[in-house]
Amino acid sequence: MSDAKAVADRLVKAKRLNALLTPPKDLRKSLATQEAAARPTGVLYGMPVSVKDNICTLEFTTTCGSRILEGYRSPYEATAVAKLKAAGALIAGKTNCDEFAMGSSTEHSAYGRVLHPLDKTRVPGGSSGGSAALVAAGAVPAALGSETGGSVRQPAAFCGVVGIKPTYGRVSRYGLVAFGSSLDQIGVFGRSVHDAARVLSVISGRDARDSTCEDRDPLRLPNVPESLQGFVIGLPREYFPPELDPAVRRACDGAVRMMRELGAAVREVSLPHTPYAVPTYYVIAPAEASSNLARYDGVRYGPRFDGNLDLRSLYRSTRGQGFGAEVRRRVLIGTYVLSAGYYDAYYKRAQQMRALIAQDFRNVFDRGVDLLFTPTVPSPAFKAGEKLSDPIAMYMSDIFTVTANLAGLPAMSLPIGRLKGLPIGGQLIGQAFLEDEMIEAAYALERVVPATEES
Amino acid sequence: MSVSRDEVLRIAQLAELDVDEDALSDLVAQLSRIIDYVAQLSAVPANGNVKAFVPGPDAIRFRPDEVNPAPLAFGPAAFAPAFKEGFFVVPKLDQFE
Repeated sequence: MSDAKAVADRLVKAKRLNALLTPPKDLRKSLATQEAAARPTGVLYGMPVSVKDNICTLEFTTTCGSRILEGYRSPYEATAVAKLKAAGALIAGKTNCDEFAMGSSTEHSAYGRVLHPLDKTRVPGGSSGGSAALVAAGAVPAALGSETGGSVRQPAAFCGVVGIKPTYGRVSRYGLVAFGSSLDQIGVFGRSVHDAARVLSVISGRDARDSTCEDRDPLRLPNVPESLQGFVIGLPREYFPPELDPAVRRACDGAVRMMRELGAAVREVSLPHTPYAVPTYYVIAPAEASSNLARYDGVRYGPRFDGNLDLRSLYRSTRGQGFGAEVRRRVLIGTYVLSAGYYDAYYKRAQQMRALIAQDFRNVFDRGVDLLFTPTVPSPAFKAGEKLSDPIAMYMSDIFTVTANLAGLPAMSLPIGRLKGLPIGGQLIGQAFLEDEMIEAAYALERVVPATEES
Repeated sequence: MSVSRDEVLRIAQLAELDVDEDALSDLVAQLSRIIDYVAQLSAVPANGNVKAFVPGPDAIRFRPDEVNPAPLAFGPAAFAPAFKEGFFVVPKLDQFE
């Protein structure tokens, strides 16, 4: 049990990262109130958990890193947040993110970029960059993020922490601001596999308020295994292309060797439609985003820009001024691919490709493979500004993570090495609703892998 | 350019989004590049037999048809830009459409 004041002090100390959007005064006041109300019998009693700013909380504003929701207070809280509180956790402020979770660097936040905790000239990844940076800086042991295409795993890899994206339907999305509804999931960051896994276990399970949440009991945590005897690990060859950063390859090779030494059987496998995953994602996600973001119109919530005009102009100026550049681009792309004349060529084709990508995974798992192991991102954290002017270069950062979202599978990143001090992440992809197996393997790997050594 | 200036303006109108005149040429170039990039999907042979993949529960779960008001901590007056006597206040329509 850490007391509220100490929690707030640690978060305020990390202020230079611009990872937290909650003002220190509000944070201190709320933490003190929450501490007084926390249930001492809860399994997370006293554990501070920061929450990405696209997840609704009653304690703090929910802006999604956007001007269009500046100052917005939600009249209800997300089920995941309610479950954390019921378990005795303290909601330790809201974390900075790419606007509406669209981005891979947290540079697309209306509230300024988040700094990488180990190198301020670099990005922490995104879109849940604020959550990853705070956990990496030791300000909190765990944080909530959200994933649509890798927004938990990619920043976890960049910052050197553990990030888990559960199976689609494992965690209720009630109170998660919608971006791509067939892809979105709440995910968790932790200093260790265990910290991340126990938070995931608390927030998982059925919820009558989300019809896409499966009617299942909360995730049961596995024991830390002695070995990986009996596990069959697949290495998809498409995730180890010739242009992969050599240090990332070395770190992955090292991790694979250790899994073998722990008794796992390792096999090369193929997921042949992988090269089409990013273009598929960048049709489906913007299409869904353009529909989901239609609700921001300056009428029901958030600020109103140029409110004295007629109604249509109010919509257009509020959305034009309220959304940042990346969100505007995605809303326009989404509208384009859904518009008459283009729907079949782009959206329908992308839906078919998504089915083939999901089938690739089923084929591999049907042949006796339990888990897949891959790099999380092709390279360590890049420099701020490096990819800002080139949306496609930014999108390529998600190349190894989008597939699990498209196929609805659980996946996680854990630190497996370093390049010039910058963390490298390894990814495990599991079978639907078998997070326990994935976490078991991660427990074993975490114990032996030289996570903070040069690769 | 795979997307023209006029097309961008038309899409922006469909999306109810003002586009800044100064930023328009950059936007046309960026959207064209993204569309060119995702167009590689159309190079893959179409397979009409592929069933769309939808993640999540196989069947919609029905629940009793009961009215259960959502417990809101406060009402829309607290967060709407303009709210009066139970209504969201909006400017008038320019013309009937």
